[in-house]
Amino acid sequence: MSTSVQNAPGSGTSAAPGKPIGELVFALIIVSIGVVGFVAGAGIQTPPSASDIGPRAFPFAVSALLVVVGAGLVFQVLRGHRGAADEGEDVDPDAKTDWLTVGKLAGFVLLHAFLIVPLGWPVAAAILFFGAAWSLGARPWWRNLVTAIVLALVLQFVFGGLLGVSLPPGFLEGIGVFGG
Amino acid sequence: MSSVDNFFMLMEGFATAMQPIYLLFALGGVLVGTAVGVLPGIGPAMTVALLMPITYSLEPTAAIIVFAGIYYGGMYGGSTTSILLNTPGESSSIVTALEGNKMAKAGRGAAALATAAVGSFVAGTIATVLLSFVAPFVAAFAVQIGPVEYVALMVVAFLTVGALLGSSVLRGLASLGLGLFIALVGFDSLTAQQRYTFGSPFLADGIDVVLVAVALFAVGEALYVASRLRHGPIKVIPVTGGWTSWLRRDDLRRSWKPWLRGTLIGFPVGTIPAGGADVATFLSYASERKLAKGENKKQFGKGAIEGVAGPEAANNAAAAGVLVPLLTLGIPTTATAAMMLVAFQRYQIPVGPQLFESNSALVWALIASLYVGNLMLLVLNLPLVGIWVKILQIPRPYLYAGILVFAVLGAFSVNFTPIDVIILLIVGILGFFMRRFGYPIAPMVVGLILGPIFESQLRRSLAISQGDPVALVQSPVAATIYVVLIVIFALSFLLKRRQRQFEAMVAANADAPDVVRGSAAGPEAVVAPAATGTSTSTSTSTTPHREDNDR
Repeated sequence: MSTSVQNAPGSGTSAAPGKPIGELVFALIIVSIGVVGFVAGAGIQTPPSASDIGPRAFPFAVSALLVVVGAGLVFQVLRGHRGAADEGEDVDPDAKTDWLTVGKLAGFVLLHAFLIVPLGWPVAAAILFFGAAWSLGARPWWRNLVTAIVLALVLQFVFGGLLGVSLPPGFLEGIGVFGG
Repeated sequence: MSSVDNFFMLMEGFATAMQPIYLLFALGGVLVGTAVGVLPGIGPAMTVALLMPITYSLEPTAAIIVFAGIYYGGMYGGSTTSILLNTPGESSSIVTALEGNKMAKAGRGAAALATAAVGSFVAGTIATVLLSFVAPFVAAFAVQIGPVEYVALMVVAFLTVGALLGSSVLRGLASLGLGLFIALVGFDSLTAQQRYTFGSPFLADGIDVVLVAVALFAVGEALYVASRLRHGPIKVIPVTGGWTSWLRRDDLRRSWKPWLRGTLIGFPVGTIPAGGADVATFLSYASERKLAKGENKKQFGKGAIEGVAGPEAANNAAAAGVLVPLLTLGIPTTATAAMMLVAFQRYQIPVGPQLFESNSALVWALIASLYVGNLMLLVLNLPLVGIWVKILQIPRPYLYAGILVFAVLGAFSVNFTPIDVIILLIVGILGFFMRRFGYPIAPMVVGLILGPIFESQLRRSLAISQGDPVALVQSPVAATIYVVLIVIFALSFLLKRRQRQFEAMVAANADAPDVVRGSAAGPEAVVAPAATGTSTSTSTSTTPHREDNDR
């Protein structure tokens, strides 16, 4: 999904000129989810005892909704009706899409997922915060690092220690206040 | 249940909510709520989703009080942002920005903040009183309805939330469909058959609601903002003068009627899912503009206090109104209400018509805590505005990095497996593209949460009628509900059209005092003065190139 959209930077917003390839692909994905819903829905086992409507009917209805609505959206996008991109206080409507930063953030979240078990939650979270803040342009690096470590320790203390959420404490293993 | 009983129950609720420990939880909730309301990019729905882990260790009453505080606090915080921050805000607070931002620029920011805070308090309190009286009656009616009527009510909720939230009907319905589809993954609750699991053991348990919500709200938002981050310094309009002198006699005289009118508009609009707080604030703004006379009318578009007082009151009253269908029918009509329903589910509390009977102590403690929280918010907001302004200035890289850390925390603590963090990322990327292409998020969350309940009620209805779908519309109550649905739809389409015309007109007039009225109709005319003038915020926020929207 993401690769095909990345080939068309700046597509899909009302402000940006050019072909709405990304938006078209997204609408087609909605249609294909509906199609998959029908195909996979046909494979749902129905117990013979079911006298009322079985487990298939509602999935079929939802799939039909997705196909119909998705097709309508494909049609609309082809006719030139584009979606209005989300607005927000921190969103610059005139900015070009910064795919590099989006990719970096996604990469750090993925890295975090692989680090939780070997390094423990606090270290993995500190790395995520540090990496994300750096990707978004925070400088200098040492302030990011200090903030990351303090935040990770505070969260481990509040959620792991006080609230009893079992976050793996990593190197804090054995220290009670961190839920270790 | 007579109303005397209800009053007695409410007093018992107060007895619970006034216990020091619950007061502390309420305080924590409203503080967090105000902070996230002030912060751009993070709202009450995301916060409740992120804080879902507290349901593991807190008892139900405490957690629900915290979440209710966040819900109400978020409404207060939002107005501070739209008044003081020099950039366009969220849709429900845009109307406040229209006049409030102008007031702040004219050095009247303190008065705008004060009328918003006091108005929110007045509206919140009156609406909570209305909630205390209306909800038990609706609940008493609701326990008598059968699955057929329940199905009808949920169809109303689906269609209004799906089609009326956001600017595009098809995109809203697509978002709803995606939510319903994700909710189907896993075991069918009635026949225990696997659906859409594709043989994967991870999918067999279904995709956790909180995981999807956190991914859509937090990760989707962080990625989306990162793709278009507004760089440069954060421009906050300074507030001058001590807070005690903020609301002058003249301001009060001009504010109190808009407060009351806003309340009366907001509460019913919140109760009936007709497009959310957005519609309520717009209706209030339009009526204040129409009712203003003489000098006051000329101020509209340049900082009229009525244009802040009315919409802010309507916003808060609508927030209380949303709790009526949530608590009496178990039907959430906003994303935050949907997350509160999830919190109930986490505690195995059955949400629905029976909630008022089966968990009356909890419900009344929740309602009582709303009164308490409202008072806390009034007391907190005026003197502490300096702190909220500081929060507003948090460097954005830290804000969004922090949101991501909270998101992975919430995701990991669902099942304590890193795979959930990867699912979080995938659904987050979906949320990113939805924002980019103008798909609203709320219908997906509502579909995700209501979908399973809807399906089981639908199948129960059809089992009773032995598969005859005509039975779904034959009951008089259900038929009435569907007729009301059609009326709601017709009304809201008319409203939306008027709203769009109105926004275009307001935007054309607001930023162009020198341009002759009437000639400044097209978007070009709006852009020109905005680019040269000092105030770019309102004009860009109220004219989001509507010609690109379908419908």
